[in-house]
Formats: sequence, C-alpha cells, structure tokens
Amino acid sequence: MERRELLKMVAVATGGVVIGGEFFLAGCKSKDAEVAGTAFSSDNIALLDEVAETIIPKTATAGAKEAEVGKFMTVMVNDCYEEADQKTFHEGMKKLDEACNKMHGHSFMKAEPAHRKELLTSLDKEAKEYMKNKKKEDPNHYFLMMKQLTLLGYFTSKPGLEQNFNYQPVPAKYDGAIPYKKGDKLFV
Amino acid sequence: MADNNTYDAIVVGSGISGGWAAKELCEKGLKVLMLERGGPYEHLKDYKTATKDPWEFTHRGATTAQQKKDYPVIHRGWAAYDRIMDAWVNEIDSPYTEIKPFTWWRVYRMGGRSILWGRQSYRWSDTDFEANAKDGHGIDWPIRYNDIAPWYDHVEKFAGISGSLEGLPQLPDGKFMPPIPLNMVEKDVAEKIKNFYKGQRHLINSRTANITEPLSERTNCQFRNRCWEGCPFGGYFSTQSSTLPAAMKTNNLTVRPLSIVTKILYDKDKKKATGVEVLDASDNKTYEFNSKIVFVCASALNSTWLLFNSATDVFPEGLGSNSGELGHNVMDHHYNLGVSGEIDGYTDIQEQGRRPCGFYIPRFANFTGDSKKRDFVRGFGYQGSASRQNWGREIAELNVGGEFKDALCEPGNWRIGATGFGEILPYHENKIYLDKNRKDKWGLPVLAMDAEIKDNEMKMRVAIKEELKEMLDAAGVKNLSTYDSGHAIGHGIHEMGTARMGNDPKTSVLNKHNQVWDAMNVFVTDGACMASASCVNPSLTYMAFTARAADHAVNELKKQNL
Repeated sequence: MERRELLKMVAVATGGVVIGGEFFLAGCKSKDAEVAGTAFSSDNIALLDEVAETIIPKTATAGAKEAEVGKFMTVMVNDCYEEADQKTFHEGMKKLDEACNKMHGHSFMKAEPAHRKELLTSLDKEAKEYMKNKKKEDPNHYFLMMKQLTLLGYFTSKPGLEQNFNYQPVPAKYDGAIPYKKGDKLFV
Repeated sequence: MADNNTYDAIVVGSGISGGWAAKELCEKGLKVLMLERGGPYEHLKDYKTATKDPWEFTHRGATTAQQKKDYPVIHRGWAAYDRIMDAWVNEIDSPYTEIKPFTWWRVYRMGGRSILWGRQSYRWSDTDFEANAKDGHGIDWPIRYNDIAPWYDHVEKFAGISGSLEGLPQLPDGKFMPPIPLNMVEKDVAEKIKNFYKGQRHLINSRTANITEPLSERTNCQFRNRCWEGCPFGGYFSTQSSTLPAAMKTNNLTVRPLSIVTKILYDKDKKKATGVEVLDASDNKTYEFNSKIVFVCASALNSTWLLFNSATDVFPEGLGSNSGELGHNVMDHHYNLGVSGEIDGYTDIQEQGRRPCGFYIPRFANFTGDSKKRDFVRGFGYQGSASRQNWGREIAELNVGGEFKDALCEPGNWRIGATGFGEILPYHENKIYLDKNRKDKWGLPVLAMDAEIKDNEMKMRVAIKEELKEMLDAAGVKNLSTYDSGHAIGHGIHEMGTARMGNDPKTSVLNKHNQVWDAMNVFVTDGACMASASCVNPSLTYMAFTARAADHAVNELKKQNL
C-alpha cells in the first residue's frame, strides 16, 4: 500500500487529521527533540497495550496486544511526534486513568473489559467532538493519537495483516472483479 | 579497450536517457564511457527493502528527524517515504537557489530516476509537435510525429510498454504488450463517459513500462506495486533492468560512478568537443576523458548546468548560449489537483493484486470534437483509479471493540478519483541560471530557478477540476470532492526545456538531431531538449529522441562528419 494512502486512511478512520502536526507526511522528530522526563516505562507500555486491545480486541483473530501495539505507539511518539504532541500524549495516559476513576472508581488497568470499552467509547466521542471544535493552536486530543496509532500499528502488523486479510506479498496477477461475499477475506 | 582515457563516445548520466544512449551506441560498436555522478546501485543486489513485509519497517512509512532536516525539498511532497530515502540527493551537499518556489527531485545514483519513475508511457502526436507553430508560443519543433514514430516503435519494443490499442489521434498507439486491466468499476465508468460525450472522451488503460509478458531476462509484473524499491523481478523498465545489461553484453561499455562531469572540453578551432573534465566525487581529483562524441543525459537541468559551465572562454554564458535561449523556457507538467468520489454498488466483487497504475483519460480540450469554448490554449490529461475502501474508513456508530474491528476488516464502498496533468507553455522568462555566489559541496556553482506557472495554466487548472467533476458526475459518481494544492514548477518531476531544439541556431540550442549548434558532436537528448511540454508523461519521448540521436551520431561518424 502506498504510504500516503495509508495515512489518509488513518485520518479518515479516526475522523480527522493525522496527529503530529506534519507527522508522517513531514517526517519524524529526532531523539534530541524528546522532552525530558517523557520516557515510557514498562507500566506505560502495559497500559497502552490494554488501551489498544480495547480498541482492537482479540476475536477470532489476534488483538492489538499480540501485535505489540503498545510498544509501537511509544516508538512513534518518541521518533515522530512534535514536542507538544509528545507532552499531550504523556499527559493523556494520566487523563485516561483519571477519567476511568471518575467513571468506574478505579484505574484502567483494574477495570474489567466492559468498563474499559465503555470508557474508550466515551473518550472517542469526546475526542471527535473536541477535534471538530478546537482552534488550530489548541493541543490535539490524546485519545485520537492513541486510536490512530493503534489502527496503523495493528493493521500493518504481521498478525493484523495475515489473520484478518488475504495478505499476498507477491500477488502475481491482477483481477479487477473477484467475487466477494460477506465473510470472505479481503485481498491486501 | 580504451587507452589514455580515450573512448569513441562519452555518455554523461545513467538515467533513462543515459542508459539508452549507452545501449544504442555500444550496440552500434562504439567504445563508450558512461559517467554517473552518484554511487553504484546494482540490479537486484541493492534493492534492499524490496521483499520486506510492512511490519519490518520501524515507522511503517514515516521518515526520521535527521532525514527531515537533510531533505527539506523531498518533504514538500509525497516522496518522503522511509523505504526510498536513500535514493534522494543529499540536499545539504547539493543545494539550489529558488528565486521562485521550485521543487527539484533528484537522484544522484546509478540509474538516476529510472528506478523511481512513474512508468506512464505515452506517445506524442502531431497535435503536440505542431502546437508551438499553431498558437505562437515558443518556437516550432524541427520534427514531426513521422520523424520520431519509428523510434517510438524501437524503444517500446525493447522497454516493454503495456497498453491498449485505441486508435486515438491525440495519443498514437504503439508496440504494446497486453494492457494491465481496468477493474469492473473503471470499465463501467469508461462506458458511461463514452456514451455521455458521444465517443469524444475516453477512459483507457494506463500505458505503462511494466511488462505483462516475460521479456528477455525479465519476469512480468507481479502486481506488488512497490516499483520504487527496485523490482526483484525486473518487472518494469529501468536502466538497471534493461539498458545497462544490454550495453554491458556488448563488452563496449565502461561505467565510472562518482564522476561529476564539470565541463565539456571544447576545441574552438574545430568547433567540436574533445571530451569532458570529471571531478571525482570520492577523491576530489580532476580527470580528463576524450571522445569523438559526447551525449549529455544528466537530466534536463543538470545537462544545461553542464553547458553553462563549458567553453566559457569562447561563449561567456556557456556552450550553446549563442542563441540566448540556454537556460530559458523551463517547463514541467502542472498537477496536484483532482476530484474523487464514491460509487454505489459492486459490493459483490473485490480486487486481487496491486496494480502499479490505473486508468488514463487522454486530452480532449482544444482538440477535434471539443465542443466547449476554452479560455486557454493546449490541454491536459488525467490519471486515476477506482478501488474499494478498506480498514482506514470511518465506520458510523462504531468506535472501539470487536464489532468495530470486524467492520474494518470488511471492504467498504468503491471510490474513484483522478489527478490532472496539464501542459505548461514555454515562456522565455521562465529560466534557470548559474548562481555564482553559491557553491555545492565540491565548490561548483549551483543552479538558480526563476520560473512559475502563469495565466494560461491557472485557467487550465479551473477546467481540469470542472471537467473531471462533470465526467464523474455523468458516470454516477457521488459525493465528489475536489482538491487543488497549487503547483510550483518542478513539482511534477517532469522538469524540461532550457536547451531547446529548433530549426534556427539564432533561436534554439540544439538542431533537429539534438546536436548543439556550436558543437555538432555534442548531443543533448534528455528533457533539456524539449521545445514544448505536451501534457503526457515525457520519459518515453526522451528514450525515442536518444535512440534517434544515437543512430544519427553513428551515421555521421561513419561519414566522418563529426
């Protein structure tokens, strides 16, 4: 898949712009642009794995955790996000826990799957609403970042591609009208 | 083979034109030295990412901060892609000056841009060759379609161009392999456009230098759509897959990488070139090579840079500058605008395989049968495709969770879209010149770019959007959205002109066989030679010009005219 198309898709799927200012389209920031004190801990990665897993859970196919999306998110935030977005993302992990506490009375890691889903559903709506109304200079919404990175990370991962789709590295032919019915795997 | 650095022919550059020059001259028995300013890049061996899976790329497409810093020009467009960043020229080592915004995409590496080109391959017609004479922009071309048609045949057969025979006068048919198919949606849209415009407009298969049948040592296209990374199957035409192996087979070719040609050596008494001076990019030493003929194929603007820098003791503004046209009339194709939308139905089919192309809508404006009054001259074409949406689309009412995931794994609606490619007129005031106050890493003066699109192009851009909207609407495409991101010259990667061909040495740099008027044994056969731009992708025409000029050069050598 061409990268530009891929990134456009991420933007559409999450209802807006791709976070990171110029983000993928204009390249990543270097390590030296990292904000001091914004390194990710293993607890952070565990949290991000669970957030990703709630967005893309294990079903008949692997979930986001198995695709190591938590770790992927940290690499992308470190290498590709602008400083302001890095800060928003780190604060976002705390905000997400606070929101969970408010809604369910405990942290996200302690929440049961249904509660996690309820929380993220409400955060998704909040993020979409926020992004629609925000001024250009306002920070992006952390949940939009998490969702975008989850989709990109999962659907370009080995289990994400191989288990959900008919992934063909070398298709060898082109056919513009293969019969398709619901339940068939999509060629990618 | 060649003693004392002496060869029959020197070819400057190893891209599409340089590769063709080397192949043709070698096959005609000349001892050829090919000089490439960049480093080696070997077929198959150096296609390092070509068989990796998406998950093997750390940033899944994104570039790093250092790359962003090093490649500001490449980051203006869509080419900043982690897999291909090694291809682009180091912009800090090799800067240029923008008097007006100018995007210059350069590859200083064996094979030049032949690895990364778009592969769309269309013939010019007499509508193009006669355009300057008819509407008075630029100067008349010294040739017509019949002069170059046999050479189109020649290069198409060797390069391998897939396409459909359409019998369209504005887009002559060629020696094609079977076309890469349109999908069902594209076929139906094509039919609706044909009916709506009563056979005056056409949506046809892309004509592309991806082979659909084995050719020589090359395997046909495997529909991976990863051409830019170099094809492990040799599925498309590049110097590496095609012209270089053919030239090497003759044992007549010597390739010297890391060789920056700084000037063409000129004998003012004989009014001929005697060879070239080379600055070795690795040791900064200067070398001289001699030859009977020199083919300048360094890419349009760098070929003109070389002329600017040559024979300045005789011609202060450079070899070929007598006409006052050297460096002028820089052109490109303006694009960065288009329309896309959704199409209902077809939910019971999907595509298999990833095409390296799509469809083409040939020029119809200001052409026989065009019923509309136009406020611009010349024309435009479109390239596009239709496909089903996949996991990137928005799913209404589903935000997170298993159902959301399942829905994303199913195919979405079909979408169709296209991008316009418009002709840019040759304007004398659109020019490049040497910025003598600014030097590159090797202490050589850099180019200054002073060019822009004007009123004719701006009016054409309005029509490009309106016409495409009308056509897609007529074909039943819904929720149409239009984009126009503006156009800086060069952004189309079809930069051309600056050493135009013509009938008169007073108004042109090159004659009808691509020979420099002031040095008949110097041939410039890449995009620099163009006297107008047409609206079709240019590389096939450079191939044909190069093969034609090589044939003429060898005939003239035999007659001892050079």
